[in-house]
This record gives sequence, C-alpha cells and structure tokens, in this order.
Amino acid sequence: MRLYEMTACEMAEKLASKEIGAVELCEDIFARIDETEEAVASFITLDREGAMAAAHAADARRMAGETLHPLAGVPVGIKDNICTDGLRTTCASRMLENFVPPYDATAVSRLKKAGAVIPGKLNMDEFAMGSSCETSYFKKSRNPHDLSRVPGGSSGGSATAVASGQLPLSLGSDTGGSVRLPASYCGIVGLKPTYGAVSRYGLVAFASSLDQIGQFGRTVDDVALLFDAVCGPDRLDATSRSFDKPGRDIEGSVKGMTIGVPAEYFAAGIQPEVEAALRQAIAGLEAEGASVRPISLPSTEYGIAAYYVISSAEASSNLARFDGVRYGYRAKEYANLVDMYERSRSEGFGAEVKRRIMLGTFVLSSGYYDAYYGRAKLMQQRMTAEFKEAFESCDLIVTPTSPTTAFKLGEKIDDPVTMYLNDVCTVCVNIAGLPALSIPCGRDQNGMPVGMQLIGPKFSEKRLFEAAKCHERRMGGALPIPAICGKEGK
Amino acid sequence: MKIDVTHLAKLARLTIDEEERPRFAAEMQGIVEMVEKLPPIEGKLTADPANRMTLRPDRVEPSMRREALLENAPQSEAGCIVVPRVVE
Repeated sequence: MRLYEMTACEMAEKLASKEIGAVELCEDIFARIDETEEAVASFITLDREGAMAAAHAADARRMAGETLHPLAGVPVGIKDNICTDGLRTTCASRMLENFVPPYDATAVSRLKKAGAVIPGKLNMDEFAMGSSCETSYFKKSRNPHDLSRVPGGSSGGSATAVASGQLPLSLGSDTGGSVRLPASYCGIVGLKPTYGAVSRYGLVAFASSLDQIGQFGRTVDDVALLFDAVCGPDRLDATSRSFDKPGRDIEGSVKGMTIGVPAEYFAAGIQPEVEAALRQAIAGLEAEGASVRPISLPSTEYGIAAYYVISSAEASSNLARFDGVRYGYRAKEYANLVDMYERSRSEGFGAEVKRRIMLGTFVLSSGYYDAYYGRAKLMQQRMTAEFKEAFESCDLIVTPTSPTTAFKLGEKIDDPVTMYLNDVCTVCVNIAGLPALSIPCGRDQNGMPVGMQLIGPKFSEKRLFEAAKCHERRMGGALPIPAICGKEGK
Repeated sequence: MKIDVTHLAKLARLTIDEEERPRFAAEMQGIVEMVEKLPPIEGKLTADPANRMTLRPDRVEPSMRREALLENAPQSEAGCIVVPRVVE
C-alpha cells in the first residue's frame, strides 16, 4: 500500500508514532500528483519547495520529542481563493494571475501553526462563480471517476485532489454549494460549516454574507480533524463566532435522532438513481435507531432566484475593488483613468464573472432595488424561518446534495440558467447560514457517485458528523480511490 | 423586463465587445427572467439578534510592509502607485 492511500487520520497516527516521516509522506504525495495531475488537473500552483521545508520542520520537531498537533506533517491543499503568504493566489482569474498575497488567511495560518504541509493551490471556477470548475481561466479539472465529466464546482480542484489521492485533505469555499456539490460529484465528504464557524479573513470575498471556508476529506473523521484545526473565533473577522467545537471524538450514532425528509427536495427532475440511493440511506439511518419524518420547506423553489440576487449583488460590490490600480491586472493601453478601469476589468474578468457583476449591478440599481434585492432579502428571512420551524420537529434534515450525478464537460457551460439549477439543493443552506455536509451515498448506473446532504441547525456540526459517520459505516467506509490511467482515463 | 446591457456594463465599469453583445444580452435576459420568479412578500426585514457583530478596539498596530504591498501594484514609483493623470 502506498502512503497516499491512507486517510488523514491514519497519516496523523503513523506520523505521531514515528512509523512514517513527514518528508517520506510528502514525497509520496508529490509522486501521486505527478502520476495523476495531467489527467485530473487539480492544481493551479504547486509548491514543492515550501511543502518539503514544512515536512522537514515537522519531522525535526517530532524527532526532538515535541508533541505536535495531529496535522503536523499532513498535506492539506488550499483552494486558490484563500490567501497564502508568498504563494500565488489567483482565484482562477486572469485578474489575479500574478497576485502574491503578503499575508495568510486565518484558516491557513492556523494550519501552518499546526504544522500542516501545503503542497499547492487548487483549481476552481473563476472567483468561485460556477458549478462545474469550467470557468477557471487556467484549466478544467476532471472528475477522477470519469475524466469526461466535470468534478462540480466551484471548489473543483479541492475535490479532485482528495478524490484522486493527490491529497488527503483540502480547504474549499462554499457560497451556494461550492464545497458540497464537488464533494458529491467526486464521491468524497465535504462540509460547509455554519456561517461564522470559520474565519473568512483572507478568503477573497465573493458574497460576504454567504461565504464560508469548507473542508474536504475522504472520511468523516478526516473532515472533523480539519474542521477542528481551522474553526473558532478570529478577531480579524467580525462575523466569526465562538461556539462549542465538535472535537474529533465522533462515535457515529444516530440513536434517538429525528431525521426530517423534505418533500420539496425529491421533486420532479431528480435522477431516479439519486432518489433510490437516498431512500435506501434514509432507511439505513432508521435501522440504526433514528426516527424519520416527512417535513416541508415550502419556499425551496425560490432558493435559486433569491441566491442569485443576493450573491450577485454582493459580488458586484466586492469585485468593484478590482480596478487595475493597487493590485491585479492592468490593461496595457488606455486613454484615461476610467478607460483604464473599464479595460482592466473587461480583459481581466471572464464571461461568468461579468454576468454576475452585471446581474448584481442590475438588482441594486435605482428603481429595481425593491423589486429584486428587497424581495430576495425578505425571501431569505422567510426561508430561514422555515428551517427554524422544521428544526423544532427534527434534529437533522436529509436531502440529495444534487438532483443528478456529475455531467459531461461542456454539457451546460453555454447555458448559464441550466448551470445555476445544479445548486437547487444547496443554496438554501447558505441563505439560512446553516451547516451542511455531503457524503457519498451509492453510485448511478455509470458508476458516478451520488451525494447525500445532511443539514443541521446553526453550530450543530457535531450532530452532522455523528449521522454522517453512522451512514459511512453502513456503506462500508469511504469510496475507494478510483484508478486513473492516462490523460483521457483510458 | 428588458435588459439594457450597454447601460448596465457602463454602470459596472465593464465594456462588452460589439460582437459579444447579442449573446450577453440574451443570457442576461434569461437570468433576469429566472430571478423575476421571486414573489412579493409582505413584511419587514428585521435584524437577527444572534448575528450581532462586535467591533475590535480601534488601536494603532503594526501593519503590512509598504514594499511588500507595492510588489503587487501594476506600476509603482518612489513608494507610490502610478495612475493616469486625474486632475488636469
């Protein structure tokens, strides 16, 4: 067995007992990256030198007898919209092609303090706007289970790296499903924490009231380990909160839990195999001692519309900072200051980013504000209340993560509205600021993974981990890392 | 609702090429029709008391190095960022 095949928890254990060294592990990780990167295209930037230095440092401290954080020496990849001091952070955009942050995001500085090794920065949809990882300026990541299919987005590279064994863990970001959707499509575990659970300092802002840094791993324990290391209050993010951390001691029990199943998430348009896999998993949780009850979240159908209004409004304002002045791309030729702004932005941003900025500009513009943005914010309030009411009669909500499994590259990229509908099961969670986790739940007839989404009340991550681990055990553990052969996978 | 892409682009400090404009207009039209499905809702927005933010104390602390910050500037000179002439 190669070292890369271990889970993060197994790596942590063997590093702590000195059975393996961080340098040896890091070398095997880079060997795995070399074998598979041409096929899956997870990375925008690799940092062999920095990673090896961190691995040497972890080994030296362990050899000196220090007791280290379990993540010391464990490789963790970072989505390329999370700032890393001295390491290029592009947001997969031409706009930031040469941007080298002079500081670390809080999540990254916590990982570094724990002694984690950062092998590189992971591909994504440009500025995290997309559901397929195809809007990246640099490359298209491919689904390790079928290289002709998308990995999901926007944190596509974070998911392909973990699913293909290039990395045991990675950070992504989730504004409307950008961790859970790729986790579902790639057959791994992905957590979108409660809004405020993880500091957003150093996460390049897309929609600040919805953004959250999320965690990917192949098992529930691995995701709990990574979440534990990065969560908690931070003075640099006024929206971050202090709460009871779930810790890493996950028993995997659903005894006495009530699980709500909202009819709206099993509506027309769901792939029959996805529904069958979900129904089987729910029956499994019932067999483990949970009680299951039907619930209703009546405003679900408006989630996508409310999400695209709120997130685009915030994006249009957040992305106004990219003007070619202080950092980022500046056009080579321009007539005056305004022309410099317009050309820099038009040449620096891709089509999807421009569409979102223009939608945001439209819904905030004079005369339309109340009809669009005002309505969307009221809808957000209503949806939040519906979830609150639902959680009075259940502990957790179970839904599919996506109505379908991964689609083919190029299949939806020319039709923005069809692409947006992929997020129908995930956006409501961000709108209500709740935590949710996606976990593999079987496969379709093509062997593509199906994802199950568990949604909990605010700061109930521990409960999500318990139910997810129970389900994972019933499924016989994590999905195996798929064989990846050649550039096209054949 | 008919979308005027040229006007919106101007507000957003973007330029859309002539040949891209029809496609952009059609896509924006589709997106706006999608978000138009939001129903009117009676009621008022209320702040969530659980989401109160506290400001950190306002005090002088070391900040990032000027040289490090200027390394990302497209054009800089003598510790300043160079921009086109603004005042005639």
